[in-house]
Amino acid sequence: MNLKIKLVLAILLCTVLTSKAQDSNRLIKGYIFDHVERNNPLDGANIYSQGLLLNTQSNEKGYFQLAVPDSIPYLVISFLGYQNDTLYLKSPKELYRVYMKASKELKSVTITHRKKATEISTLGILKTERIGQKELLKAACCNLSESFETTPSVDVSFTDAISGYKQIQMLGLSGPNTLFTRENIPDVRGLAAITGLTFTPGTWIDNMQLSKGTGSVVNGPEGLAGQINIEWRKPFEEADKWNFNLYQNSQGRTEGNVVHKFKVNKNVSSNLFLHGRNQWMRLDQNKDAYMDQPLGNQFIAANRWFAFLPHKFELQWGVKASYADNVGGMHDFKKGQAIEMGKTWGYESDINRIEAWAKIGKIFENKSWKSMGLQLSTWAHQQNAMYGFRNYKGKDNGLYANYIYQSIIDNTNHIIKTGASFNLDHISENVESVGYTRKEINTGVFAEYSYQYLEKFNLVAGIRADYNNLFGFYATPRLHLRYAPWYNAALRASVGRAQRTANFLSENMAYLASNRAWIWNQNNMDYSLKPEVAWNYGLNFTQKFKLNYKEGTFSFDLYNTQYQNQIVVDIENPDQVKFYNLNGQSFAKSFQAQLDYEPIRKLDVRLAYRWYDVQTQYQSGLKEKPLVARNRAFINIGYEFAKSWNIDYTLHWTGSKRVPLSYHQKDHLLASYQSPDYIIMNAQISKHWTKAFEVYLGVENIANIMQHQMILNSDNPFGKGFDASLIWGSAMGRNIYAGLRYNIK
Amino acid sequence: MKLIISFLCISMSIFGATKSFAQDHKITTDSIKVAGNCGECKERIEDAAYIKGVKEAHWDKNSHWLVLSYRNDKTSLDKIKSSILAAGHDLDSVKASDKAYEKLPKCCLYRSHVCNE
Repeated sequence: MNLKIKLVLAILLCTVLTSKAQDSNRLIKGYIFDHVERNNPLDGANIYSQGLLLNTQSNEKGYFQLAVPDSIPYLVISFLGYQNDTLYLKSPKELYRVYMKASKELKSVTITHRKKATEISTLGILKTERIGQKELLKAACCNLSESFETTPSVDVSFTDAISGYKQIQMLGLSGPNTLFTRENIPDVRGLAAITGLTFTPGTWIDNMQLSKGTGSVVNGPEGLAGQINIEWRKPFEEADKWNFNLYQNSQGRTEGNVVHKFKVNKNVSSNLFLHGRNQWMRLDQNKDAYMDQPLGNQFIAANRWFAFLPHKFELQWGVKASYADNVGGMHDFKKGQAIEMGKTWGYESDINRIEAWAKIGKIFENKSWKSMGLQLSTWAHQQNAMYGFRNYKGKDNGLYANYIYQSIIDNTNHIIKTGASFNLDHISENVESVGYTRKEINTGVFAEYSYQYLEKFNLVAGIRADYNNLFGFYATPRLHLRYAPWYNAALRASVGRAQRTANFLSENMAYLASNRAWIWNQNNMDYSLKPEVAWNYGLNFTQKFKLNYKEGTFSFDLYNTQYQNQIVVDIENPDQVKFYNLNGQSFAKSFQAQLDYEPIRKLDVRLAYRWYDVQTQYQSGLKEKPLVARNRAFINIGYEFAKSWNIDYTLHWTGSKRVPLSYHQKDHLLASYQSPDYIIMNAQISKHWTKAFEVYLGVENIANIMQHQMILNSDNPFGKGFDASLIWGSAMGRNIYAGLRYNIK
Repeated sequence: MKLIISFLCISMSIFGATKSFAQDHKITTDSIKVAGNCGECKERIEDAAYIKGVKEAHWDKNSHWLVLSYRNDKTSLDKIKSSILAAGHDLDSVKASDKAYEKLPKCCLYRSHVCNE
């Protein structure tokens, strides 16, 4: 279907929604100015009545007029970069004058309506889903890889049936293609791209912003599928001093989290974050004599500081340490136990990671439009794993620096950002002592120009030029456009290039949970493959609407990723996993439609559908990427009732996936087939007393649907055809959990 | 792609159907002053205002205005007012009973306290 038809449909849809009848009116006229420069009229401010479909915009003289029913006592005025203002109409005036104050940095506008758990804005150059704490509380548990259960844009699946790790997928592209940032500093990358998702506990997070497609060039040349930025809880925001969280589930997982905030003085504040987790029950819900997930411990601690210094200097720094150890495999396998051919097959893994970061920012005095910032981070990561007789060893040390200078050209409608970045990745990894060591230094400069015309049109054009010591010079251009065809709607388009060097051993470690031979062009200990390069094209549309006095959002998006080079992971031969450079085409196309609506007060409904077409040229031909669901549908219903009770229900339907040629029982080859589709249902109920204390109880996978035969040839783990990596369904059965949250002011 | 088209069509027809239900001329918009002092009050006032027939209720903490949209064939302003009074919040013209007022949590005792939110 071509795009035009879709656009016409969307336009039709929206015109239906925006008609409105009115009763006896008075005409309100006025001017809107800046609070400081009192002669400066604000062009394009929104003037509206809260709750009613009544709105207008000021013109270039700051003038507006609006017919307002007599019964309306006030209007709200909003403008990008300014605090919302209220215009009271009680004492009638011929002409109103409003002076709007610029919004302070780091402080958000007070939201007066009932806060939605996830908000998709029609402002801003990128279609960003803001996932707030309320949404995070809906998810059963507990860390980043488990936080997307109610977010249709992200697919989460088990990597294999042994390690218990989950990986995410956006736009049909595997997790490492998504750029994770912690307060805009890259995080969860390198060797931590899969395992690192477990190192950010959900209770530490204040909110996340998720955007699809290539993002800003400021954050580097990576991030092909999108960006997820994670904001931790801030110590200077007026909130609780202590947050405690305890969690226990029926699968033998115990977890505790503490967040502490303290202020040294008015300008210096700090957070302390602690997390501990223990998986103590040997669980085998599908009775295949293997643990469904490994036993293990995880400890994470972090401390970070904020300082607001004179002359508008802002300083932020922090450290974080993460530790995890796991033991899994056959049901009674113990840590340190020797692997015996034909008898015991076990899995062990340990990860140690330490990282530190700092941010220095300065806003020039009396020139709030001019600022500069320096971001620094460094990390040391060590990861070892054992799958039966096979070992993995990985080490990742690195350094990241990014300098950003921001200013305007002529006025704030033209913003320019420019700067330089440096990234060092010293990575070595090997499987059974065969692997590579790579000292990769990527240095780049970038410039990004943003243009804004009222709230109608935005453009962001960016380019970066990088030099990579292994792969030479390359350029990364990116372009984003936003157009608001009418009130509360946004049509956005983007195109961009992304380049990334894949750590293909750690990213595919799940295939060690099989007897596949690992094959790639091994060249001593050098990195012998090319970097992954792709172009991403996106188009999306968002419409906020009001129907029967209730608010809703409808959006759809289309993305197309075309690879120029990719490290193809080929599992078409059941005895091998092969890695090679792409020779031919590889693409990922995606479509998603989502509707959020509140049909009854305090009942939020989210419906979503998404479609993928992901194909790659393998050595055996152009084929659909295995273990990726073409179709997926999603329903989430949240209801707040009887004051302070919340109930939440989610249903995912995942369509069938292509399972490649595999060994069935006893060396018997089974042709490539389509897996059955399946549903997963989750529900949770919670109750809070004042704001301080909350308990929750939930069930994951209510119907207890698991993939049948998860581990192929599980009775012979050392023989041909043993494979725990072909996971298309849920690797975990029903799980009942309970937890509590306690906040002290 | 056929799926996509049908999805769009279905969602459109759902929109269309609900919209025609919503085309209703019996909606009245009114606003009244309601005393209160904090975010928790806002929740209580709006909860009290949402009686059967009320489509929308927004209370503004700063101005104390409560803007209402309701179906005048199903409810009346007096009914909404009495529901708010029963929740312990004073109106411009009428005060809530002391009994209802005393039931409010301490932070919401707007007659004597100022909220420092």
